[in-house]
Amino acid sequence: MFKMSEYSLIAAMLSTGLALLAYVAYSVSGIRAARLQTAGMPLRTAGVGFVIGPRTASIGRYATILGWLATAALGASLVFRTIATGHGPFANQYEFAVSFAFGTLAAYMWFEQRYHQRVLGVIALAVGLALMLYATSIPSNIEPLVPALQNNLLLSVHVAVAIVAYGSFTVAFAAAVLFLIQPETGRWGLPKPELLDEIGYRAIVVGFPFLSLVIILGALWAEVAWGTYWSWDPKETASLVTWLLYAAYLHARIVRGWRGSRSAWLLVAGFGATLFTYFGNYFFGGLHSYAGLNRQ
Amino acid sequence: MAQHVRARPLPQGSLEAEAPRQSLVGPLEGLLDGLWRILTSMRIALVLILAFAVLSLVGTVVVQAPPGTLADPQAKADWLGQVRPKYGGWTGIMDTLQAFAIFQSLWFRVVVAGLSISLVACSVHRIQGLWRTAARPRVKVADRFFEHAPQHETILAPSADQAALARLQAVLKRHRYRSLVKDEDGLSLYADRNRWGPMGSLVGHLSLLVILVGAVVGSTFGYRDSSFIVAEGSTAPVATDGLSVKLVSFKDSYYADTGEPSDYASDVILYKDGQQVGRQTVRVNQPLRYGDISFYQSFFGPAAVMTVTDASGKQVYSGGVPLAWNTNDGAHRVGTFALSAAGLSAWVVESAGADDTQIRPGQVQLELYQSSGDGQAVASQVLDQGKATKVGDLTYTFQREKSFTGLIVSRDPGAPLVWLGALLLVGGFVLVFMFPHRRLWARITPRKGGSTISLAAIGRHDTTVGREFTDLVADIRQALQTPAKG
Ligand code: HEM
Repeated sequence: MFKMSEYSLIAAMLSTGLALLAYVAYSVSGIRAARLQTAGMPLRTAGVGFVIGPRTASIGRYATILGWLATAALGASLVFRTIATGHGPFANQYEFAVSFAFGTLAAYMWFEQRYHQRVLGVIALAVGLALMLYATSIPSNIEPLVPALQNNLLLSVHVAVAIVAYGSFTVAFAAAVLFLIQPETGRWGLPKPELLDEIGYRAIVVGFPFLSLVIILGALWAEVAWGTYWSWDPKETASLVTWLLYAAYLHARIVRGWRGSRSAWLLVAGFGATLFTYFGNYFFGGLHSYAGLNRQ
Repeated sequence: MAQHVRARPLPQGSLEAEAPRQSLVGPLEGLLDGLWRILTSMRIALVLILAFAVLSLVGTVVVQAPPGTLADPQAKADWLGQVRPKYGGWTGIMDTLQAFAIFQSLWFRVVVAGLSISLVACSVHRIQGLWRTAARPRVKVADRFFEHAPQHETILAPSADQAALARLQAVLKRHRYRSLVKDEDGLSLYADRNRWGPMGSLVGHLSLLVILVGAVVGSTFGYRDSSFIVAEGSTAPVATDGLSVKLVSFKDSYYADTGEPSDYASDVILYKDGQQVGRQTVRVNQPLRYGDISFYQSFFGPAAVMTVTDASGKQVYSGGVPLAWNTNDGAHRVGTFALSAAGLSAWVVESAGADDTQIRPGQVQLELYQSSGDGQAVASQVLDQGKATKVGDLTYTFQREKSFTGLIVSRDPGAPLVWLGALLLVGGFVLVFMFPHRRLWARITPRKGGSTISLAAIGRHDTTVGREFTDLVADIRQALQTPAKG
């Protein structure tokens, strides 16, 4: 099972890599077509969105198939790993990196189903691939659980909920980046700013309640394991920062002067905080260590 | 380069039943009005939320002093000395700015207080509007609205107005909209669904206050001892509720292959006023709960079982001495017990290991101090295991080594509020997000050979809402334009 899980991860990495190439090709081809249509017009002419000709459409279909393939392979990797270890993928950085990558791919594919904006895939899949590459660079051996982590049900639910939240945040991040690199009238045939704003918002509407649940489940675990639901541990504080940034985003969207690009920057900051929470053990002050690994 | 991506907002309050406007006169009212505007301002709320985020971020990147350290001048100086190499000349400045105890700092308190007040103000401010929108919506709206609403449509129906109304209502019902009708200068209709969804926003915001109250109650009325120590075979009193805990045995287990810990298990008996009220093996994820008090496994270490007898052979002390502290150089574990009748306090120092030439493994060093006055050292003696040794008037024996367990004892009367708040938080925000309020207005005016139906809706101007509206309109159009049967 352990081997199966590793092979699935490799398969997922290959298909994500290929899918990413296909998404890039798709974007380039669509944007090129949009350029050709506006040729002769003033450079920044708005109005022409992404142009999907027959060639672009067929590249897009391959990209999507590869994307689903990658998602399935990554899901399989997690399932095999769970069977091999007998617990959810919450025990170490490796397991969580693979989970995070899966969340990213799955959330992206789900949003693609709904909004058909494949240009987002370039960013989302790049994040997913980076997470998988990171996963392969850190130890993946299965180690038995230290006492604090022996709370299989709670922690499995915790990580499952986190996958959804983090995946949504990546999609929101991708939308925000595309929003920010174009002026308000749109450019280069990229997805329209209004639509990107909507996708970002929809992603947070999913991600925010899920992140709330992640934090609450973490607090429940802390109460059972350490006798306090909140101790300002850097890991939990970092997740609070993430949560606050997304709460700020939800307000910013309706405050004059904060709509649009400032809100989009909050999505970027929120994603930064998400990564910081995850990689935090490399930054947090020296006296603390990864929650659950060095504490009893 | 602010980008206005939402539809132009409609004039406030134009869609709810009219409320009497308060007239504000006089400078005091003007001041209060201004204050109220600040407290209910979304911009201020946004700034406060961001300030909270920034302070929390500081708390994750700057090392935080262990609780209590900064209150004690000596401990504080020691601790600052430890972090000085890391922060250099900034150490003093950061200390002044309370960066090492950011969650107890003035900044933090101000932000939390500001947010709480703002939350209360906002909720009070919004409750009336939310209530009116849900319970007393305006059925008849101005004609203009049907031309300017973000989404609007006109349908020409062959049937007369009452018949058209009936068909319209049937379609709306199928789409799970409830509808209200007003017959005044023509037929007006209002329809909506999920009208209680927005109340989730109120629940979600107020839940934050519930959590905050829970946290304050917990820290004010709670009890917490995070280093409750008891040695195997001994009983130690808990400083509250007349409870005491006996550690029957402690076992730490390790995985054979990796050497990582696999289990810490303290078999304990709980007594209340001398009566046994509970027995359980306390493990890391299995606290012992008794009433509202819980005992959690936290740490452990060795204990030295000591017996002390007086000249007549009477036992004056017998028990496990938890070696829960370290000597200043960190090399030796030490523990202490009191010999009150003799006016002595005894310290037991464990061997530092195989390299220790002074205290060999299997030996302990006994150090006696006067327990009153200036704590003068009285004697120091190395004891062999199992060998009774006379020091001063008493005879001391180091029987054997056992374990002690360190438990956290905690009572948090605020915790139920916190969990309730957590439930309301998720429930409330899921309600707003999953059940968005959808509203639709219609006006039916008779015309020759049928009627004209104007439809208008408001809501977020996005594709989901747009699609819903288009589908609904298509259904309505179909129902209205098919000629009446018979
Ligand atoms: C840490 C504190 C806060 C958090 C976590 C928070 C969270 C949220 C969330 C998740 C939403 C979106 C869902 C909804 O519409 O209810 C929201 C909306 C809203 N919040 Fe807050 N909030 C906080 C503080 C405040 C404060 C202090 C105010 C008062 C100014 C406020 C006013 C509002 C309003 C008016 C909306 C409705 C926005 C709309 O119509 O879309 N919030 N808040």
